[in-house]
Amino acid sequence: MVSIARKNLLHDRLRFTIAVVGIVFAVVLITIQAGMFLRFLTNASILIDHIDADLWVTSKNLKNYDFGRPFDRRKYYQVMSVSGVEWAEEFLLGFSFWKRPDGGQESIEVVGYDPQSLIGGPWDVVEGDPRAVSGLDGILLDVADRQRLGSPRLGERVEIRGYRARVVGFTRGAKNFTQSPYIFTSLENAHRFSFINSRQVGYVLVKVAPGQSVPVVQQAIRRSVPFVDVYTQREFSNLSRRYWMISTGAGVALLSSMLMGLVIGTIIVGQTIYASTIEHLKEFGTLKAIGASNTYVYRIIMQQALIAAVIGHVLGLGVAQLLVRALRGAGLDVLLPWQVIVIIFALTLLMCVTSSVLSIYRITKIDPALVFKG
Amino acid sequence: MTANPALSAGPSPLLALRSVRKVYGEGAGAVEAVTGVDLDLMAGEFTLLMGPSGSGKTTLLMMMGCLLKPTSGTVSVAGVEVQGLPESALPAIRLRYLGYIFQGFNLFPALTASENVEVALNLKGVRGDAARAAAARHLSRIGLESRLAHRPEDLSGGEKQRVAIARALAAEPPVILADEPTASLDGATGHRVTELLRQLAREEARTVFVVTHDPRILDLADRILHMEDGRIVKDERK
Repeated sequence: MVSIARKNLLHDRLRFTIAVVGIVFAVVLITIQAGMFLRFLTNASILIDHIDADLWVTSKNLKNYDFGRPFDRRKYYQVMSVSGVEWAEEFLLGFSFWKRPDGGQESIEVVGYDPQSLIGGPWDVVEGDPRAVSGLDGILLDVADRQRLGSPRLGERVEIRGYRARVVGFTRGAKNFTQSPYIFTSLENAHRFSFINSRQVGYVLVKVAPGQSVPVVQQAIRRSVPFVDVYTQREFSNLSRRYWMISTGAGVALLSSMLMGLVIGTIIVGQTIYASTIEHLKEFGTLKAIGASNTYVYRIIMQQALIAAVIGHVLGLGVAQLLVRALRGAGLDVLLPWQVIVIIFALTLLMCVTSSVLSIYRITKIDPALVFKG
Repeated sequence: MTANPALSAGPSPLLALRSVRKVYGEGAGAVEAVTGVDLDLMAGEFTLLMGPSGSGKTTLLMMMGCLLKPTSGTVSVAGVEVQGLPESALPAIRLRYLGYIFQGFNLFPALTASENVEVALNLKGVRGDAARAAAARHLSRIGLESRLAHRPEDLSGGEKQRVAIARALAAEPPVILADEPTASLDGATGHRVTELLRQLAREEARTVFVVTHDPRILDLADRILHMEDGRIVKDERK
């Protein structure tokens, strides 16, 4: 069967190029914004999602876990004594300062965990040993933050909030939303390195005993321990994500950019396809005159849009991948799982199909006399 | 080329118009373009429709081609009254019974001569190699066997019109409607194209109806209709 759609597109190369460039632009914009949105969303609750705790006990009315407020350590013991709790662990998270070798300072987030149980500790250690933080000054930092923190090597001594620390390992993928590097260390060290005194805890992590219901134990802790909030892992993760992505406006800004990409892409493609339709109006009228049904003609318009969509999507993804690499080099990680690529392809198709609606509408209004005009 | 299926219909007209009227607009601004036309076109007849600009020729042609609905009256194609049919049924009528040739050729510039003809075959359900072979056959028959792979921009006016004729014939319609087919052609080429149309009527018993201003082709017609102010004022048979 003669592909009028393909032939028309290739015959009109300049116009086709403009349409494809429009789609590429939209795809790149949407892909990068979606990838950044996903990365920020993941980072907004990365510790919570990687810690195997059923419940998180926090101070009252927290907005997110990065900005935690420490509370009395005695509550940790109260939580431990609640029926249905298999174990409870202290967990610390607090801001501090890292002294760079060049004299500059970097804001960091100190993560304190129990090096015996490793609960709350790093989940992907690429070098060193997470148990080695049990010494007086052991710390682990993320490989992605090495350069920013003065490129310390394994075993090198560094300075945190005026205290001496020693690098005992490197983690991977421990990036947070605040962009302050996570520094993993023991609970004891974390108290020294952060501003949280030793009579306080940041959070209490709880594992519910086998056979016990998480909501029931959650309620029991709420009843037994005053002036704290108790969240399931999912609830606390969502709370943090909502705060960073919605309350701060960061997520809304990224989603707005995505939407803008979609709108701009739709306008460019729509305008191009519509202009092409107008130029070929007489041909479409002729097709109808020689016996083509409306559906046949609409299919040609739709095929033109879909061919442009597929080519635009493939090229757009290629450009987006190059940009992602460049952004990674600049320290901005963009997350692009295959599901996002599939969704963006669906959005591209939607964009192109929507773009052709106006053209289809125009085809329905063809004056039959048009085909008889010389 | 296959035999004309409409021939089996006997002496009844292939295309029949009864009291056909077309009014554009409403109220005081209404213009009556065609006023009560009765017309029968028989198989094998080569008919010319002549008349001054604005006399209603194109409007009549559009109604005969089921591209425009009459305000009143009936148009029958091969015995089927088209007014009663839904809009969605008309493409099938046009595809089966009617072939068009336009003054401006209306070829698809992105397609080769062969592909332009294949489009009509595709609509009829003929695809792939069969469509290519049939297109080549139709184009060879009118002397364009060496121009199959050429696009319209590489063809002369006469060649373009012959491709348009091949396209009109590809679906094997019993009726060919042509609008000023020689207007864009020089005298000799126009005459050759008209000869070809007459040949289609004579040898294949197709009904060929041509709207024209071209006095050079009058001698080739079996029947000449004259239209003025929306009416057929003269019907000459040779």
